[in-house]
Amino acid sequence: MQESKIDKKFTVPIGPQHPALKEPAFFSLNVEGEIVTNAYVRLGYAHRGVERAAEERNWVQTQYLLERICGICSHIHSTAYCLGVEKLAGIEAPPRAQAIRILVAELERIHSHLLWLGVASHEAGFDTLFMYSWRDRETVMDILEGLTGNRVNYSANLLGGVKYDIDNAQADNISKGLEFLQERLIYYLEIVTSDALFLKRTRDIGGMTRNQAEVLGAVGPTARASNVVRDIRVEAPYSAYNQFPVSIVLESKGDLEARFVVRVKEMLESCHLINRILDNLPGGELAARMKRRISPGEAVVRVEAPRGELFYFIKSNGTDKPERIKVRTPTICNMTSVLKLAIGSQLADIPMILAGIDPCFSCNDRSVRINNRSSKTSLWTWEELRKYGIRYYYGDHH
Amino acid sequence: MKIGAMFGDVVGSLFKKPVTERYPKVRQDPPERFRGCLDWSPDKCTGCGICAMDCPANAIEMIVIDKKEKRFVLQYHVDRCTFCAQCIHSCNHGCLTMRADLWEMAALDKQSYTKWFGKAGDLEYVLAEAA
Amino acid sequence: MEIIINIFNLLIFPGGLFLLTAGMFFEWADRKLLSQYQNRIGPRWFQPLADAVKLLANEEVIPDGSNPTLYIVLPIVALAGCLTAALYVPIAGFPPVYNFPGDLIVTIYLLSLLTLCIGLAGANTINRFSLIGATRTLTQLFSYEAPFLLALLGPALAAGSWQISEIIAYTGQRWLLITQPLGFFVALVGLMGKLELPPFDAPEAETEIVAGALTEYSGRGLALFRLGKGVEMVVGLTLIAAFYLGGVSNPLSFLLKTLSLLLVIAGLQALLARLRIDQTVGLWWRYGILLVLVQWLFMIGGRMVL
Repeated sequence: MQESKIDKKFTVPIGPQHPALKEPAFFSLNVEGEIVTNAYVRLGYAHRGVERAAEERNWVQTQYLLERICGICSHIHSTAYCLGVEKLAGIEAPPRAQAIRILVAELERIHSHLLWLGVASHEAGFDTLFMYSWRDRETVMDILEGLTGNRVNYSANLLGGVKYDIDNAQADNISKGLEFLQERLIYYLEIVTSDALFLKRTRDIGGMTRNQAEVLGAVGPTARASNVVRDIRVEAPYSAYNQFPVSIVLESKGDLEARFVVRVKEMLESCHLINRILDNLPGGELAARMKRRISPGEAVVRVEAPRGELFYFIKSNGTDKPERIKVRTPTICNMTSVLKLAIGSQLADIPMILAGIDPCFSCNDRSVRINNRSSKTSLWTWEELRKYGIRYYYGDHH
Repeated sequence: MKIGAMFGDVVGSLFKKPVTERYPKVRQDPPERFRGCLDWSPDKCTGCGICAMDCPANAIEMIVIDKKEKRFVLQYHVDRCTFCAQCIHSCNHGCLTMRADLWEMAALDKQSYTKWFGKAGDLEYVLAEAA
Repeated sequence: MEIIINIFNLLIFPGGLFLLTAGMFFEWADRKLLSQYQNRIGPRWFQPLADAVKLLANEEVIPDGSNPTLYIVLPIVALAGCLTAALYVPIAGFPPVYNFPGDLIVTIYLLSLLTLCIGLAGANTINRFSLIGATRTLTQLFSYEAPFLLALLGPALAAGSWQISEIIAYTGQRWLLITQPLGFFVALVGLMGKLELPPFDAPEAETEIVAGALTEYSGRGLALFRLGKGVEMVVGLTLIAAFYLGGVSNPLSFLLKTLSLLLVIAGLQALLARLRIDQTVGLWWRYGILLVLVQWLFMIGGRMVL
């Protein structure tokens, strides 16, 4: 229904504070009636200077800083960092530690996908699925609390291994919890593919073809829902994924329903993987000895976070503090696909399309250096930054 | 395609008790490995100070009264601690543990957020010096 | 003496204070039932009262670019409309306080006054979200109003009158739920559309347009709108219970019947996801109208045969 009092260039701002967003980001959409004609995104509200802070802490302390970049993918950040530093130091973690690392990573994947299932169904207006999936998420968090001592930010890693062991009692606990979860996950798969009103909000909405996904550089379950074979655990297995291979989950339609199906099936795959690891846990010690000074060099690590490919670049100059750590998170790769898919869709579908890529805005605010050939790079002091900000917003007469 | 695929769950819940935990009227015990407040036993400490160096939040300060006699006092800032348990694994002698029974640490004053650990005589000495 | 009785009826019982309390009670019952379906504990009994008290204590900020008189008057008119509509329905099992021929139409119009006021209130500001919310509210009004009206007129046709007291004298003896099931179904779902309950809560979809038409409201205005919605729920449930569930003849049967209707409504809320506004319009103008027309065909056919 077109109302004449709404202008052609009607801009709807979503953010920085909005009930649809769990973290601040700014989307500006040009709307005609209910159809979106243009989309513009601006990020950076959750930037905390983590990469700069990492240069002031020693190798042991940095791990905990990087773990807190994101709350729901904290373990995988810490794993990537430990893998990189171990590569630089030339030490490999013992096999039992590596198996426990990926066990906790798969538990985290289940936890993250269940959280996403709840949030996405809340965006669709289906609060009941939200409540039930978050109730079942408590099972995973209780398992992790029994295993590591905390429900989020598990801090299970040490440089050179892991802190916590899995004995028989723990393994029983995990198996029981996973049995309950598997039943519930099969039920959720059925709901997501058969509930008529929910399908009206997800089927054939926000569809991305395989070509578009490859051109826009999508990663993670967003890409796998469009039939793009992109999974670091399968293409470039790291840590113990060599002994415990993962089978990739693909869907071909690329719409929101496919993304739901991919994530629920990935959760089931993770349950099977965890059961396999528990049955075949290698023996051995939990951590290798690490020196306090890491030899100079550069290391590149790629791991599979719940949202996609996580990339770490670590540079050492021989001291006990890192020289440069660069983190590239998966959400920033998927963000352009949101902008592309938003144009031409209805305003009511925008929160769903945004939720479909599983955005984690606190992950994706890292610094980007733009290469301007004419100017030279320099370091700004706090005073200079403040003056620049005042000039930018208020003009030169201040 | 069915309308109301969650029918079984939704109607079944009418006859079940809600899963909400009625905290604080009903408290569940945390598991053994729960990372609550820090605890330090001075018997095995050699004063190496690695725990203080490795703490990401600078929550531990080691005060040396006499290195040869192994008299040390630990000042622990609860409000800075992130409960990561790195200090426990950095210590080579097993002096540190995290208590699973003390985790409700809200307080109305700043003083309760600094805890002092040490042998009785050493603590009095340090606190007298501080006063 | 008459005057005192009238003032008592208008202000205390069954209008005014009793109605506001009943509105808050039904809002609490709805939220509590919804939370029971979702396997959690809901709010405590005084939550809607606490909301109302807190909102009345808030500062009311009149935004720039809106007409201040309209801004302040619209919530009052909305609440007044709902309270007036209640005077013609059998609240709490007692016969309607006032009646005159044709008061069914007046009641339905007064119930729609709330939705119209919300739409106007949203259009009054220059906030983007309010404008989109107002558009959606009015669009939804156009879509469910016709089937809902026809479903409520079904019993009127069967009773042969447009006066509520005569209709409930007729339906008091027989349960129209059994002879007009389609009409009952459309009336119940139409009530959910009128009250903007899920799955028809696109006009105030929290995740898309913040709070819809009422985004700019706070303080007294918002409190009055919310109380109006509670009262509308009571009046709507009473109408449907009186027409289809065999009349409400005493307070106990009133409570039982309206609460069982609320059980079904809360269950539908928990079970169904939110519909987009174009899907809502499509649904009502395709299936809603169809069902109610089929029902009318059966009724008229039945009358001609018997």
